[in-house]
Amino acid sequence: MDLAKWGAPATRDLWEAFDGLRGDMDRALDFFSLPDAAGLLDRTTAPAVDIVETEEEYLVVADLPGVDKRDLEVSVTGSLLAIKGVKKAEGNSGKRKVFRKETWVGSFSRTIDLPAEIDPGKIKAELKDGVLALRIAKREEAKTKLIAVNVQ
Amino acid sequence: MDQRYIDNARGVAVPACSITEDEGLVTVKLEMPGVPKEELEVRIEGNSLEVSGTRRRAEERGKYLLRERRADSFRKRFTLDETIDREKVAAELADGILVLKLHIREAAKPRKIEIS
Repeated sequence: MDLAKWGAPATRDLWEAFDGLRGDMDRALDFFSLPDAAGLLDRTTAPAVDIVETEEEYLVVADLPGVDKRDLEVSVTGSLLAIKGVKKAEGNSGKRKVFRKETWVGSFSRTIDLPAEIDPGKIKAELKDGVLALRIAKREEAKTKLIAVNVQ
Repeated sequence: MDQRYIDNARGVAVPACSITEDEGLVTVKLEMPGVPKEELEVRIEGNSLEVSGTRRRAEERGKYLLRERRADSFRKRFTLDETIDREKVAAELADGILVLKLHIREAAKPRKIEIS
């Protein structure tokens, strides 16, 4: 039990009230800090991808958390690169209660039209920590070449 | 693509999360693709459970044609109530998903009292 005099102390800092308010606001904002990959703007059917081009190759990086190597399929047609797969749901026991579900399961696919012809025989794929990295070599004829020009 | 947009796209993200409970075991799953085990931290301090992970984006030489993968790091904070046993928290990271297993204290579980 508090043995303080009832009522507001005379020396109270006016700004104290605002500190409390700020705390409340912070908590409210924390509650509303939605994940970046969920809900309406979710990439449910097309995972987020980075593409980097160098002179020799393309590097395609895709976020695929929880996707098994066996459920993933990468194919190449001309300059089109297709990444397809299934993210499988775990077994559901009847008694399980769900409190929050922002993650998704199901199939996804993404087709990328790369700017140059690629060599389907020279693709290195690596799946690590839920990130797929594809290194795709350009075709010889698509590489930038330096041609020496003789000035007369 | 606009360079400014590319720079803005980097930062801290809140990982997508799912929370389920099954017979006294609370399972929290957080999707953090690209975060290795060494860069992941799970910290319990008082009533707060904070998970943070950094992914080192190997800055590739070359031209970015597309940059959609947003975050360089992930952070998420939960508040634990008294029913969660702080001593029995297990964390496991596989395929870019962090799985936290939290146990509900025996004393907090519902009990049926027999009437004699």
